[in-house]
Amino acid sequence: MRKVFFLIFLSTIILGACGGFSLGDGDTSSGGTGDPEDGTAQEETIVLDFWTFWGSEQRRPVIDQIIEDFNTSQDEIEVRHTYTPWGDIWTKNLAAIAAGDPPDVIINDIMTVKLRAEEGQIEPITEFVQDEVSGRFYDQMMDAAIHEDEIYALPFNTDTQILFYNKDLFEEVGLDPEQPPETWEELDEYAAQLDIEEEGTYERIGFYPLIGAGTDIWVLNALGENYLQDDGEVLIDTEPVHETFNWILDSQDKYGQNRITSVNSQFENAQQDPFMSGDVPMMVQNANYYVQLRDFAEDLNFGVAPLPERVPGNGNTSWGGGFVAEVPMGASNPEASYQFIEYLTSHEAQLYWAEQNFDLVAHEEAGVSAAGSGEFDDSGQEVYTQMIENMDETLLTPQPVIAPDYAGTVNPIFESIVSGNTDVESGLEQAQSELEQLVEDNR
Amino acid sequence: MNKKKENLFGYIFISPWIIGFLALTLGPLLFSLYGSFTNYNVVSRMDFVGFDNYQELFTNDNLFWVSLYNTFYFVIFSVPLTTILAILISTMMNQDIPGMRIFRTIYYLPAILSGVGVYLLWMQLLDPSTGLINQFLALFGINGPNWLFDPDWAKPSLIFMKLWSAGGAMLLYLAAMQGIPKTFYEAARIDGATNVQMFFKITLPMVSPIIFFDVITSTIGSFQIFQEAYVMSADNAGAPENSLLFFNLYMWIRAFNLFDMGYAMAMSWILFIIVLLLTLVNFKLSKRWVHYEGD
Repeated sequence: MRKVFFLIFLSTIILGACGGFSLGDGDTSSGGTGDPEDGTAQEETIVLDFWTFWGSEQRRPVIDQIIEDFNTSQDEIEVRHTYTPWGDIWTKNLAAIAAGDPPDVIINDIMTVKLRAEEGQIEPITEFVQDEVSGRFYDQMMDAAIHEDEIYALPFNTDTQILFYNKDLFEEVGLDPEQPPETWEELDEYAAQLDIEEEGTYERIGFYPLIGAGTDIWVLNALGENYLQDDGEVLIDTEPVHETFNWILDSQDKYGQNRITSVNSQFENAQQDPFMSGDVPMMVQNANYYVQLRDFAEDLNFGVAPLPERVPGNGNTSWGGGFVAEVPMGASNPEASYQFIEYLTSHEAQLYWAEQNFDLVAHEEAGVSAAGSGEFDDSGQEVYTQMIENMDETLLTPQPVIAPDYAGTVNPIFESIVSGNTDVESGLEQAQSELEQLVEDNR
Repeated sequence: MNKKKENLFGYIFISPWIIGFLALTLGPLLFSLYGSFTNYNVVSRMDFVGFDNYQELFTNDNLFWVSLYNTFYFVIFSVPLTTILAILISTMMNQDIPGMRIFRTIYYLPAILSGVGVYLLWMQLLDPSTGLINQFLALFGINGPNWLFDPDWAKPSLIFMKLWSAGGAMLLYLAAMQGIPKTFYEAARIDGATNVQMFFKITLPMVSPIIFFDVITSTIGSFQIFQEAYVMSADNAGAPENSLLFFNLYMWIRAFNLFDMGYAMAMSWILFIIVLLLTLVNFKLSKRWVHYEGD
């Protein structure tokens, strides 16, 4: 009796273990699905499984329409949309790749393309991409999709940070509503005029850098480049970064941490938006914020402008992110997948996406067409034009393969400086040396 | 029915669980043990690297220590506090007064609510300016802390939130307390014992097996804290200042953001060993204070 159970026990362990260990050879199983195109007599359509996280009322009909347009435009490929929630999509994709049954096309984060390429999660598509196609996109976006001279994805959409300001309040305090601040110094001057202080508390916060934006955006704006360079050089303990933190802390001293926390939490709660209510007349925000203003603050008379520069001539550097369409490793028919990706990033599809969602698309010319689109009203066109112009000075900060987890090391130190637990001098010195160490270890 | 046959039927009846355990739990478990000695990245790489992952963790990874500290901090405060609170509540709920059922229901309710919904609710409650908790404190002129936005208050905020759901364990204690024979109390009262004496000399020893069970399971559960930090920290990665970077959150970041699955597997085994040791210590210590009826 005991022997029998021991045998069952043993075989189950071995079975279980085999199941586990067979992971990792995703590329061998991909051949087994049998591509209908090679040599078979009957012409089967190729069915592609396309994963996105666009399930909202707003986005889903738009992507579904694009897919339908593609499906009717030809009869070889049929794309089926699988909506996978934002919180699961990329972990599910990883598991699907490991299991050898990935989606054929997926929308993924542009910041981590290089890292995924390095880890062997994406099929390179270099052989399919013609110059005409790779030239469609903003250069910095295309760069983010290339790793070691191979193209791994095509950019889909992006965003950028701009300055929003309240024109009525500008006029109220005697500022020219058509002359937004252009430098940090001007920002401070304008802020002083816009401030309303009552009994030591600022009822109206003229401008505080960390409302809407984070320290990393201002550091990028001050440096004009990322503090971690592609070659591993670290630029944290430098004059512009010191100046950035001192500037932020001066402003924080003026308004007081409590008041700022309370304003920022109002934004997070979305109960009462302080920009809409006029408590915050200027702030740097993701340009997509316009959609909220359009939908919830019809009467607000606002303007948009590039990020002010640290000193004249330093540049209005801004920060952006975005998403790409890519073919997961082991997908059964990368060429067919690519055909669909090419359609997704075509002028037609990109313009449709831009108009329906008010979203900044990766296709440069489609963006320009969208900016003049009749789908937008005047202020919509103005904001979209600003977004496009901003792309000239918008940087992406793809996670470098050399130190993919750099933010986990640096951000807590930046937070600690802003909260006053660490002083600027020693904080930046520490961040510089810890990041250098991290890069060194990974080499 | 003879003994052998009875055994066989026993095994057959539990075989679904045994097979499930062996195939779905033990298999992956052993796989992760092996994986922890490799540079496994889920899709393309699995080379044996010996103890490299472990060595890196212990000698060259600040975040590992930060996450370990955060996790211990959470366990050390949340386990005793929730246990004590659960016992206190169940003592109160054990009184024989009218309307008690309603109170029991109210105190138990938080236990049936769980997951992200509760965390979002608490994020609203703990909001520094518009949250009910700080608004309540303001009635007494107290300027409440920034809770989840202050590195010194973020962990206490989570512990505070955990206390709210102490009602779950209350149910166990209440059942145990109701099982204590009334004669014990009657005898004690005749001997002139006070309520406090009865609580410490009769109630506590009689429910000590439940306390033991509760402490063990909640210690294990608390070491695994993940969701709370993932949802409630502003950047989903342990902000502010890594104060909510718990062990499992860091492990998750390593595994699924940085694709260092082998490294994350090594972390999971370290946590397993820590929890195992603590549980063994608990079992050893239990001989001194856990009383089983009939011993």
